[in-house]
Amino acid sequence: MKRSILLSVLLLIFMINITAQEDTSKVTPDDLKAKIEELKGHIEGLNESYLETKATVDALKKIKFSGYIQTQFQSAEVDGAATFAGGNFAANMHNRFMVRRGRLKLTYDNNLTNLVLQIDATERGLGLKDAYLFLKEPWLKSFGLKGGVFDRPFGFEIGYSSSSRETPERSRMFQTLFPGERDLGISVEYSPYSPFENFLGYFNFKAGFFAGNGSSVEVDNKKDFIGRLGFSLPFYEENLAIDGGVSIYRGGVKLAAGKSIFTVDNSNAASANVKSSFADRNYLGFDLQLYYAMPLLGNFSLRGEYISGKQPSGSSASSTSPTSLQTGDLFMRNFAGYYLNYVQNLGDKNQLVIKYDVYDPNIDVEGDQIGAAAAAKLGSGDIKYSTMGIGLIHYLDDNLKFVLYYDSVSNETTTKLAGFNSDLKDNVLTFRIQYKF
Amino acid sequence: MKKIILLLVIAALSFGFQSDNKVITVKGSDTMVILAQRWAEKYMQTHPEVTIQITGGGSGVGIAALINGSTDIAKASRPMKPSEREKLKQRYNSLGVEVKTAKDGLSIYVNDKNSVRELSIQQIKDIYTGKITNWKSLGGRDTKIIIYGRENSSGTYVYFKDNVLGGEDFTSKMQSMPGTSAVVNAVVKDVNSIGFGGAAFAKGITMVAVKKDANSKAFEPTEENIKNGNYPITRFLYLYLKTKPTGEVKKFIDWILSSEGQSIVSKVGYFPIR
Repeated sequence: MKRSILLSVLLLIFMINITAQEDTSKVTPDDLKAKIEELKGHIEGLNESYLETKATVDALKKIKFSGYIQTQFQSAEVDGAATFAGGNFAANMHNRFMVRRGRLKLTYDNNLTNLVLQIDATERGLGLKDAYLFLKEPWLKSFGLKGGVFDRPFGFEIGYSSSSRETPERSRMFQTLFPGERDLGISVEYSPYSPFENFLGYFNFKAGFFAGNGSSVEVDNKKDFIGRLGFSLPFYEENLAIDGGVSIYRGGVKLAAGKSIFTVDNSNAASANVKSSFADRNYLGFDLQLYYAMPLLGNFSLRGEYISGKQPSGSSASSTSPTSLQTGDLFMRNFAGYYLNYVQNLGDKNQLVIKYDVYDPNIDVEGDQIGAAAAAKLGSGDIKYSTMGIGLIHYLDDNLKFVLYYDSVSNETTTKLAGFNSDLKDNVLTFRIQYKF
Repeated sequence: MKKIILLLVIAALSFGFQSDNKVITVKGSDTMVILAQRWAEKYMQTHPEVTIQITGGGSGVGIAALINGSTDIAKASRPMKPSEREKLKQRYNSLGVEVKTAKDGLSIYVNDKNSVRELSIQQIKDIYTGKITNWKSLGGRDTKIIIYGRENSSGTYVYFKDNVLGGEDFTSKMQSMPGTSAVVNAVVKDVNSIGFGGAAFAKGITMVAVKKDANSKAFEPTEENIKNGNYPITRFLYLYLKTKPTGEVKKFIDWILSSEGQSIVSKVGYFPIR
């Protein structure tokens, strides 16, 4: 717009100049005055028009669209491989093309208030990812309130966007405990407006109450509490950053009438509880992220998380958190898991990533204990997995990213459970192209 | 598995490390455009194998370009914000490398015909937040104050907001100009106006003396007052890099901090840090 005004003004000056050159002898001071007045009128008109357009543009600037598409080719060791690298392969195939994520995000940013709506559109259908509002208090601009469907405030990996994450998928632990990452609820946040200016400026805090079923509809009256207290320590001179946090989850899964909560541990027969109406879902997590520049090798990040606690599920074959009302017995396990993620810059455009993650859904049992006695109610949901991943990332520009990644998965073996007497053939190679805007 | 790892390591080594760039791009602060151009011209005279491209757009634009990889160096007239450092951290595992290159007194411009010659920080704040609207209450003529400032992509805008307005919003009456030169031109033409910007741009206007509070002594933005810290609105002029500089970029930065590079700082109208 400013360019248009400038061009118009220059054109007018040019025209006046030409006219002046054509007949300089006839130009009187009054003519010149009239021309200047005419020019002023034009400029004022253009300025008014500019201000009107600016008001419209300023209003439109509040609406922001962003998104990304991840297209990938994957190859597994065998047909029908069960994997956490984007979901199980179909029974008759071991390689596939897939749009892993097709995200479109709308943000209405009105400074202290925000609205966010994000959908995921792939060949598997259309899904809701985010739908929330965010309000910030106007005084300190540090405390906020969020309501709707959004990331659970637990740990680091949940909130680390899939478009920025170096590995194709989150660790098995997070996919099991927090399927879909989001939940329906309300939370309060503290994020310092001017970080690092005082003691409190090094901390951040998020906590709230949630339905506990992921993005699904609410199914019971009990609300789950989720919270994280985090810190951020930047050492600018050393180009070193240390971030971390402690997270807590206190919630429950509703037990259907007439059903039992079985505690599955190393007992020969799982003990049943019929008195409680909810099975405890309690986690405690620690996360730490380190960023530093090593001599010769350059910048790297090392991130890790550890979570342990009690996890109820609706099956002995799976320890995944329920996302709907359970109609059968519940199975309670003590679990633990962790991951370590190392990312090494190779120049500005490339990164090497190595990740090791372990998830033990039942820390009370191991090996041949699983499947040994039917009354113990132990099954494939109690098998421990570890995954070693290595990959390369190439950033072509700000929009395009290429990822080549290999997941090598190892599982706990037991001679007492069919299908688990040796390591499963479930390694997966992924080649992904991501376009982000 | 071993084959896959070997393949990935070979691939990493083959396209991991890139050769040094002979074209250095520098983007960002308009306040620093002239300074950076002088540096580039002088440096390229003695290093003809290197091309240095200087563009403006504002500190925010330069830092955004650094984050998205479209510039080698961002120039900024304000410190990088924690949120910007966070974005660098996410993409480059780095908080960014900050290089202080010069010092500047952020000057308050008034027209030569304006009788007001000194202002306190609080008075400046009250003008720019819309609480004082007439020169009369500042000892001047009974006329409305016409306020000029910068656009919000400007580092000068951000620095002024954070350090003079204490984080408060500018009055909606402020007219945002695309560069410090435009602010100076506006103040030259309008006898009732006020503006702010780098001391190096102050031609044909008066820079008022500024006092910390009503009881303090007022100081003009002279070299001596800026260097010894008496002038209350001083700032550094920065260069930012994604990671520790190497190759030609490192040589250029080292030269900027050398006596030759710092002498250009003085010639342009800012104040050397060494």
